[in-house]
Amino acid sequence: MVEPLLEVKDLVTYFFTESGIVEALDGINLTVYPKESVGVVGESGCGKTQTAYSILKILAQNGKIMSGQVLYKGQDLVPMSEAEMRRIRGKEIAMIFQDPMTSLNPVMKISDQMIEIIAMHRDVSEEEAREIAIEALTAVGISDAANRIDEYPHKFSGGMRQRILIARALALRPSLLIADEPTTALDVTIQAQVLEIIKEMKEQFNLALMLITHNLGVVAELTDRVHIFYGGRVAEVASTYDIFTRPMHPYTIALLESIPSLDVEKGRLATIPGSVPQLINPPSGCRFHPRCKYAKEKCSKEIPLMEEKEPGRFVACHYWEEVEISDIAEEVIGSHKNKIKQKT
Amino acid sequence: MASESENENVLLELRDLRKWFPVKEQGFIASRQVANVKAVDGVNLQIYKGETLGLVGESGCGKTTTGKVIVKLEPPTTGQVLYRGQDIYSFHTREDEMYFKRNVQMIFQDPYSSLNPRMLVMDIIGEGLQIHESHMPRLQREQIVYDLLEKVGLEDYHAMRYPHEFSGGQRQRIGIARALAVNPELVVADEPVSALDVSVQAQILNLMQDLQKEFNLTYIFVAHDLSVIKHVSDRVAVMYLGTIVEYGTNRQIFTKTAHPYSVALMSAIPRPDPRRKMKRIVLPGEPPSPINIPSGCRFHPRCYKSDNDKCIKEDPPMIELEPGHFVKCHYPEM
Repeated sequence: MVEPLLEVKDLVTYFFTESGIVEALDGINLTVYPKESVGVVGESGCGKTQTAYSILKILAQNGKIMSGQVLYKGQDLVPMSEAEMRRIRGKEIAMIFQDPMTSLNPVMKISDQMIEIIAMHRDVSEEEAREIAIEALTAVGISDAANRIDEYPHKFSGGMRQRILIARALALRPSLLIADEPTTALDVTIQAQVLEIIKEMKEQFNLALMLITHNLGVVAELTDRVHIFYGGRVAEVASTYDIFTRPMHPYTIALLESIPSLDVEKGRLATIPGSVPQLINPPSGCRFHPRCKYAKEKCSKEIPLMEEKEPGRFVACHYWEEVEISDIAEEVIGSHKNKIKQKT
Repeated sequence: MASESENENVLLELRDLRKWFPVKEQGFIASRQVANVKAVDGVNLQIYKGETLGLVGESGCGKTTTGKVIVKLEPPTTGQVLYRGQDIYSFHTREDEMYFKRNVQMIFQDPYSSLNPRMLVMDIIGEGLQIHESHMPRLQREQIVYDLLEKVGLEDYHAMRYPHEFSGGQRQRIGIARALAVNPELVVADEPVSALDVSVQAQILNLMQDLQKEFNLTYIFVAHDLSVIKHVSDRVAVMYLGTIVEYGTNRQIFTKTAHPYSVALMSAIPRPDPRRKMKRIVLPGEPPSPINIPSGCRFHPRCYKSDNDKCIKEDPPMIELEPGHFVKCHYPEM
């Protein structure tokens, strides 16, 4: 079997704030295999971004990894020194952020923000680095890159800046790209362009991709496997196909039911009562139990463990066998089945 | 007025509405105007009583500005907004003005900045009543606020709290209660769910639909998310660069999409279905700046159907493809 490229094991990260300890990550398990595209899905505050920050150890000052391992190519990143981490960041694991407007330094030319990093990490001269940068910018669709590289970020639109950030990340030839909501700040027609570029780049450079998003549509399109996050824990892991056709965790099902669809007529949206939990004082037991319609006494007392229910399918729920798929979900899934029939 | 007698179901009508913002350059002594940002550039639309009209488009297309002109937050540069046949920017009497202001309310996008952080929820929701029903006894007003809180799914004791004590979804409920306190006819909702988590978004959409039935509301629902628009709207208008390029019933827009921009917009949306391998139309480039609007059809530089002749020279007229379905294109998809 193929060794995982990245393996996060029982990762626990806390934030120490004036109002108390925020249990942001509470035992996260996550794997990314080489060349694989993995989705990390959840709502705001579920810990998806902090997982990425913990992997790269770029947490805010009041954040601390309490326990757990981050194995990258078999090596644990958690005990590593800053100097060692600097060799991992960018060169091995690159990251692009949600907001392309703030991820570039507004008072530095694009060239200055790319060339130095490339020269350092890839051990080439500045002239060669400039060539590499121009090549990378051209690859992501920046026309006239040789001249535009000496412009300042404000001359570029949001979509263009996100392209520049992708180019900068990929110019170092990383093995893993972490993309945190890469298209959330963009308009749909621009989002479509950027998604195409990420797909192309992934193919071209044999990248593994960890895609963090709340947008289920983007996940369906871009990923092979999905981790569903809820309240600082992982609720369900499965192939993208299974998540959308045979979801098992009550939260996954509720999430699928609550989104309006362009393809299926939904009379009334199913809702999840309440709102996303505050992790300063998280619910006991299963963190989803106050909002779950299958919750029983056990759910508020015992933390459900992540178990492999079928090969490759992990669910953390005490009563996953009792979970039923509602009419609406059935309808959504039914429409999928019809499409498969039509295709064959 | 003529328009009123033509169709008494028309609640609001926009006639050749334009909102241009001047771009100024500082000179030695005074600043001078060098250009115009044509945020809204010739919008014609009718809104019928009791319907939900979805106004959809990308950022910068003028949908929010249109909403603001409708609720009289931004005066138009030219054109008219007729509410029940009367131009809202030239009311004859104060009574007419107050009647309009009471009956047209707005729900804002950002539940964090649209509520005054120093006011109690009781005062936020009750403020409209204090203005429009100044003779109403305090107890009666408070009772109305409590009733509204219950209707939007909050509790009595929430009235004595400040906005910062609530989550985003709860704040949006307060914003909705505030808009409904004066019993309006028309509510302009500007991206009411785009700042919310998906699980909370569904709650707010359902709430808005329930309240529409209960209070006979007419909604103008401004959003960039096509699946939300499809879910809530009776009729849909698609905006591009300050103008409406296509409008019609929900069914017409989503099953007989005619304008190339609408087609591309729909194909651009990633669907939550891993096996659906769609043929996506990726539009080249980005929406041009509303300062320099392209000649002819303003969509032609990005259009996959542009013929490079007629489209560059002639601004296409709005044509009616079938009853109620209008498109502004020389070569609509059919």
